[in-house]
Amino acid sequence: MHLQRHKLMALTEYLAPRPAVPERCLRPAAGPQEEENGYARLLRRQVEEVFRDSRMIAVCQYNSMPGDDMVLMRHYLRKHNIEVKFFLNEIVRPVLSQSRYKNLLPLFVGRNILLVSPETKAKEMLRVLKGVPQVSLLGACIDDTILSRQGVENFAKLPPLEASQGQTVGALALLPSQTCSLLQHGAAHLTALLDRHIRQLRDGAGEGGTPAGPEPAQSPGAP
Amino acid sequence: MAGRINVVLRPVKSIVVRFCPFESNVESTRKFLECISRKKIQATNRNCEVTADVRHDGSEPLVDVMFADGDRLIMKGANLTTVEMLTALGSRCNTKELKAEQKSKKNP
Repeated sequence: MHLQRHKLMALTEYLAPRPAVPERCLRPAAGPQEEENGYARLLRRQVEEVFRDSRMIAVCQYNSMPGDDMVLMRHYLRKHNIEVKFFLNEIVRPVLSQSRYKNLLPLFVGRNILLVSPETKAKEMLRVLKGVPQVSLLGACIDDTILSRQGVENFAKLPPLEASQGQTVGALALLPSQTCSLLQHGAAHLTALLDRHIRQLRDGAGEGGTPAGPEPAQSPGAP
Repeated sequence: MAGRINVVLRPVKSIVVRFCPFESNVESTRKFLECISRKKIQATNRNCEVTADVRHDGSEPLVDVMFADGDRLIMKGANLTTVEMLTALGSRCNTKELKAEQKSKKNP
């Protein structure tokens, strides 16, 4: 009985069906495509808006800072209408690679913050950042021009637009103002000499002495 | 990983991290700067000055560490990882700490 039972059990043992082609030889089915995260899309749109609406975008490296200092720094920058924005690199990189700011891509490695502003107050920004050693300025894009740190410092040293416009106008107007006096110089000199000559003749006639010989006439347009 | 390495900065006088952010090989140096500037490591030595020198001349990223006993450690970060730089700095700091402790034990 025992033996018969064994034989029966062995006969009726379950044999798993083997696939004709082993699974590892087949191409794996493509997994379900990851749906684009709506939040990521929103952040990307925010990044595009920021880049579109601000004239000055500064990228700084952010080393961890105590919270109070961070609040103070944000406060001082806000006074000059500069906002501090945090964006994740994986959001910013795809946006930048498709826009015209491709050359800013190597800056977005590690922890960064963006200082954005619709105005270009570079001097005030540098002054605030000097007081915060944990944040180092890497580069900036001011009025669609990518600048390095040195470039931003030079930009901050430039005089304001009105002053430089005044200087340009003054420099351009200098030469024409000289032309007028140059042209009149010869005739004016001749007039002065003739005047003096007449005075000398008059004085000579008044004293009764012989009048002084006529001075040779100066040719006009003397150098 | 790099966040768990603790470096004791007591024997260090100053650290200058020089890099050009528009180059592509500066990631490890920048991460090194971030790790060095963390509160825990900064707390081990308040007098240690960490300066970041940001240039735009295509130079290689460099970490220049000046120790209090006059030694100097220069690490060129172009082909190093952050962890390697931190462990190198950490091991040297530890040896100097041990030496200083032994000296202070000998001369009470």
